[in-house]
Amino acid sequence: MADEKGSQPTCSEESASVIPQKYIKTNADLQTFLSSRTFAELWAYMLRLNSAVVDKKCSSVSLSEAASSVKSIVNMLKTLAEWAKEIEPTQQASRFGNRAFRTWHERLCKNVESLMRSIVHTWDGDYSKETGRSEEHVARELAEYLKTSFGNETRIDYGSGHEAHFLVLLYCLSKIGVLHESEDEEVVLIVFPAYLKTTRLLQTRYMLEPAGSHGVWGLDDYSFLPFLWGSSQLLSSNRVLPNVIYDEEALGELRDEYLYLDAIAFIREMKTGPFAEHSRMLHDISGVNGGWKKINTGMIKMYRGEVWQKQPVIQHFLFGALFRFGS
Amino acid sequence: MSGAEVDAATPAPPKPPVAPVPAAAPPAPSTPSISLSNGDLDRFLEQLLSESCKPLGEEEVKGLCEKAREILMEESNVQAVSCPVTVSGDIHGQYHDLLELFRIGGTCPDTNYLFMGDYVDRGYYSVETVTALVCLKVRYPHRVTILRGNHESRQITQVYGFYDECLRKYGNANVWKSFTDMFDYLPLTALVEISIFCLHGGLSPSIETLDQIRELDRVQEVPHEGPMCDLLWSDPDDRCGWGISPRGAGYTFGQDISDQFNHSNSITLIARAHQLVMEGYNWCHDRNVVTIFSAPNYCYRCGNQAAIMELDENKNYTFLQFDPAPRRGEDHVSRRSPDYFL
Repeated sequence: MADEKGSQPTCSEESASVIPQKYIKTNADLQTFLSSRTFAELWAYMLRLNSAVVDKKCSSVSLSEAASSVKSIVNMLKTLAEWAKEIEPTQQASRFGNRAFRTWHERLCKNVESLMRSIVHTWDGDYSKETGRSEEHVARELAEYLKTSFGNETRIDYGSGHEAHFLVLLYCLSKIGVLHESEDEEVVLIVFPAYLKTTRLLQTRYMLEPAGSHGVWGLDDYSFLPFLWGSSQLLSSNRVLPNVIYDEEALGELRDEYLYLDAIAFIREMKTGPFAEHSRMLHDISGVNGGWKKINTGMIKMYRGEVWQKQPVIQHFLFGALFRFGS
Repeated sequence: MSGAEVDAATPAPPKPPVAPVPAAAPPAPSTPSISLSNGDLDRFLEQLLSESCKPLGEEEVKGLCEKAREILMEESNVQAVSCPVTVSGDIHGQYHDLLELFRIGGTCPDTNYLFMGDYVDRGYYSVETVTALVCLKVRYPHRVTILRGNHESRQITQVYGFYDECLRKYGNANVWKSFTDMFDYLPLTALVEISIFCLHGGLSPSIETLDQIRELDRVQEVPHEGPMCDLLWSDPDDRCGWGISPRGAGYTFGQDISDQFNHSNSITLIARAHQLVMEGYNWCHDRNVVTIFSAPNYCYRCGNQAAIMELDENKNYTFLQFDPAPRRGEDHVSRRSPDYFL
């Protein structure tokens, strides 16, 4: 991941300390993080979102009736997608990883603080009183997590570590009160699909490489959370069974309602060849004894084991004042 | 490039190899040498080189890798190869496409082959692919050359799939260990008829002459930096000079660099792999360099063609392009719950 220290403002100690930095260099650092209050809170937030969408279809919420903070995040994600439509991929013969992604990312960096300020501003509380920091500093910290949520501009890749930065952003927004617990369902079923839509557009348009993918032996080239929260949406369904992944008609009909099925349908759009071969893990999971309940529990264990406990992923993580490293 | 250039005339400072997984000390070569008869090898090849390919047993792989190591340790870091020969790029466990490659390019020993690394990772059939290629190497040591790619490494295979695949297919990591220990002996580069220089990645700011490559001690895990790392990781670029590689290892090198290298070493062409190219092959640097990539529809989704380069006895080249091997439809494949879901 690009070292962003060079661009830090050094005008005051406070502004320097709110620019998130990397802290995890060794396995001991990783263990420190995993046993920290920060991680416990983040994990609890992820599980709270998981519980919020048990047996809920995406159509159980609607954007028009959503909270203003939810609307403003979705608008921002739409803006980012618009930019991707405007910025044409460059002609290049070799390698996937189109350099025009860097142009898109530059535009993101240029505008990210004002984008973040407009979201942070939807909360009418007093930042200095509640967080000990000005609204501007909060926006600046969150801007760094947003910048990292869409892939790495040097390597032109994207993976579950970038997706995890978006989770961190949501967690911070919840922590400072921009997002409320009553909006959890909207976060998973409106905000997150909008995020997925933008990241998928970037993946396909600029041919982002899967970051650190285990190839056919991983869950998915790019994403994790659509499978985790998506399996919660189907938790007690006895109409949609896990082997639905082989029913292309049902996938087409139901993908707009369930994140899990949408993620499967997206893989089927992108890949050719036997599904059981290019997505072996998902194939195996479709036969798990215990149905969606077991799948959801397994996804939670796997997310922890394969993303958060993996040093190659978490060593790139940024920590600031809201998402703190250590105590 | 901002401050990224490395002065081509200044060799990079000596950098100790940093291998997080210590390269296993090579077991003392067993004496007498492993007995694997041609009959055994032909039987293995028959078992492997068919649509219904069945991987070898753990002990068979172990014996095969030991035999391969004996052969490879005699080879040079710049292994001499003569024409005619067919040159192939990355395969990445796309076993059915490797069979297609042999249908297009001809089978061993009727066609001689030079493979430029990256046999494993990403695809579903890395075990089958690398076993078949090593078997061919051991059966026809003078007709088949297999170089090392950046994925023939302990560290990389633990991230990109080969390790997971070995665990899945054998239930333990012994086969992964046999292969990755053997990978340390693979030659780094080859020189076809003293004029076509073949390697997986590209050039290194620490290397000006082929003799400098010959002097490297290659029997180790691929280091994180330094000349051996660069040969397996670097890419040509349209910018001049040396550049920092977006991959985080190796360098990018411009046409000025390949001009100079080819001139100093009396080479007419650098043939390399390592990068996906949509047509399967791609010229650059005013035909100083060609990239060859032999995994069609890479990772099941890139939509690219694959290619191999045939060199005839007069060193004339022909590129043969090919598409993914036709596959039978989805039939019932059994399921095994991953550990997290038990």
